[in-house]
Amino acid sequence: MKPNFIQKVTNWGNFPIVEKEMKSEDSFKKIKDFVINHNEVIARGNGRCYGDASLGEHIFSTKKLNKFISFDRLNGILECESGVLLSDVLEISVPQGYFLYVTPGTKFVSVGGAIASDVHGKNHHAEGCFSEYVIEFKLMTENGDIITCSREENIDKFWATIGGMGLTGIILTAKFKLKNIESAYIRQESIKAENLDEIFTLFEESESWTYTVAWIDCLQKGKDIGRSILMRGEHAFQHELPQNLTKNPLRLKKKLQPTVPFYFPNFALNSLTVKIFNLLYYKKQSKKEVKNFIDYETFFYPLDAVNEWNKIYGKSGFIQYQMVIPKETGKEGMKKILETIANSGNGSFLAVLKLFGKNNPEAYNSFPFEGYTLALDFKVNSKLKKLVEQLDSIVQEFGGRIYLTKDSMSRSSLTNYLKNVQSSKFVSLQHKRIINNNS
Amino acid sequence: MIVLGSTSEVAQAFVEKALQEGEKFEKIYLFTSSKETTERFARHIDVMFLQQSEVIELDLMKEIDYNQFDYVNSNVLFCATGYLGDGTEEGLYDNKNTEKIIDINYSKLVPVMNYFAQKFESRRSGTIIGLSSVAGDRGRQSNFIYGSAKAAFTAYLSGLRNYLFEKKVHVMTVKPGFMATKMTEGLPLNPKLTATPKQAAACIYKAFKKQKNVVYVLPIWGVIMMIIRNIPEFIFKKLKL
Ligand SMILES: Cc1cc2nc3c(=O)[nH]c(=O)nc-3n(C[C@H](O)[C@H](O)[C@H](O)COP(=O)(O)OP(=O)(O)OC[C@H]3O[C@@H](n4cnc5c(N)ncnc54)[C@H](O)[C@@H]3O)c2cc1C
Repeated sequence: MKPNFIQKVTNWGNFPIVEKEMKSEDSFKKIKDFVINHNEVIARGNGRCYGDASLGEHIFSTKKLNKFISFDRLNGILECESGVLLSDVLEISVPQGYFLYVTPGTKFVSVGGAIASDVHGKNHHAEGCFSEYVIEFKLMTENGDIITCSREENIDKFWATIGGMGLTGIILTAKFKLKNIESAYIRQESIKAENLDEIFTLFEESESWTYTVAWIDCLQKGKDIGRSILMRGEHAFQHELPQNLTKNPLRLKKKLQPTVPFYFPNFALNSLTVKIFNLLYYKKQSKKEVKNFIDYETFFYPLDAVNEWNKIYGKSGFIQYQMVIPKETGKEGMKKILETIANSGNGSFLAVLKLFGKNNPEAYNSFPFEGYTLALDFKVNSKLKKLVEQLDSIVQEFGGRIYLTKDSMSRSSLTNYLKNVQSSKFVSLQHKRIINNNS
Repeated sequence: MIVLGSTSEVAQAFVEKALQEGEKFEKIYLFTSSKETTERFARHIDVMFLQQSEVIELDLMKEIDYNQFDYVNSNVLFCATGYLGDGTEEGLYDNKNTEKIIDINYSKLVPVMNYFAQKFESRRSGTIIGLSSVAGDRGRQSNFIYGSAKAAFTAYLSGLRNYLFEKKVHVMTVKPGFMATKMTEGLPLNPKLTATPKQAAACIYKAFKKQKNVVYVLPIWGVIMMIIRNIPEFIFKKLKL
């Protein structure tokens, strides 16, 4: 048997699927050989971007760069290789009283992927993007050199790489700050909103909370548009915890993780099932307002509770469409978007709304800016392309942009905030698609 | 714990698994032919578990001075040393390839194993875990040089188990089937028959706790190899395996 590194590769949305070379190495020397000996290379972390951002001709998987390097337990500064997952970080940091400053809605992303996408969490309005807490990282550039990038050293490369979607090189290691926590629990309040006006008011009233997010039932029409549940939370202090949690406040009990065993058949997810799901989700909470303490996994990573849930979208896959629209016109834009979706009959199983705070102008490749952001999952089908085009037009009209790490279909004018990353060595399918679209 | 072949992903996963399960070791001795990558692993377990370890260079293809390992002592030995080399078609008539396969998997490895076995014997306690291979269960045309060396190693472990039984030392033979590791990277393996290093480590750890003698990493391999071992020779010789 001769080695064959060509394989089927696809990211979280199972769309698109490519057959390309994918290789992983743990020795920097071998990684250098790989970079030098190939024309078009792109790094791939854990493939949790939804679309084609980490796909390319020659994929370098950071799977084997999975070692910790150092942990300054006094100051909460961690250094690790880029393929270490945020879940690995939490495993060692939480019991020691540290948490990630910024985490996306899944903990199964790599540190390299978090930097390359400059991910945001439910606390963007309060604490910004992942990059705010990155002290430095080591980057392998086009000729295989390894450079240290920080706010003092190789500053250009530092900022271009943040949110740079892997197009500036391969991040090998990274050092970043963690935040102190007293417990592994979150003090949470969930509040039902009947419509868009109510949810926007709730967001603005909740600005002093560290974490806020809303789930929208996006099949509602007319006066019910924007029916949703807002969740806001704070890391719980030890003294606030209910009695039963005070014994071991930094440790969670092991939970059973169900796995979706196979791809669901195509008919399983249609507008009716989505409608029922959203109704149940909304009705589950019968009271207008619920206050409770929940563990951090349930609060930050509800979707991680089911392994491989992406398979419920069937073999044709799905996309996530995430945009941001400036705050002033956000309400109007969101309304138009939700109306368009409701009319298309292409329901979204999952719709998450958030208010972004001010962006860091230095991190020019980061997606977030002050305004409302909505993330929607859509099953890939023949009508989807048209819906994406319609949504793109609305986003354009309102001066918004699209999140590259989730994109696989949008028009390039919504993704052209990406700057200073043009390279003949590091090339992704996404970048090619966007450039071609430009012409 | 003493680890031979510390760059092996299974060995590393086993160390992590044992530490996660709360096993305590005064020190972990990481023997390796590649110091750079093993030092990274040493830092890694220090960060994760505050586990002290020491990286010791050991190249089976070079003369070994055993005196320098006098101080190395532990209750568990995990041997993951192995070398796949080229398969039969590419490598049968290449003597260098043949020698290296036999040396690393058997002839140069056994004296090292003996050296540590003696320490276990004099302590009258402990467990020795050796990674052999299903390839050693029956010689097949595709890789019988490797298979024969592993067969010899399997026989060695079995004899050692027998010899050390009275001396209160347990010896466990592990036969991984296909594993998704550096050794097999890029080969088109059937995912149902292939274990990840993590899976393998979990299974080996369980068997270690239960003091098993011979374990197949995925149970299905026990069945497959039973069938393969029992095919009559006059049929077997005609098969393309
Ligand atoms: C359920 C779910 C929820 C999510 N929620 C959020 C959220 O709330 N907020 C948010 O911001 N994102 C969210 N995401 C998206 C996810 O955080 C990003 O796509 C993240 O970048 C994925 O990391 P990864 O390690 O899987 O990288 P991949 O998906 O493999 O790659 C993503 C990008 O990073 C680049 N890259 C990866 N590793 C390296 C490296 N070592 N060096 C250079 N470039 C590299 C790739 O080239 C690619 O462009 C979510 C995704 C899922 C599946």
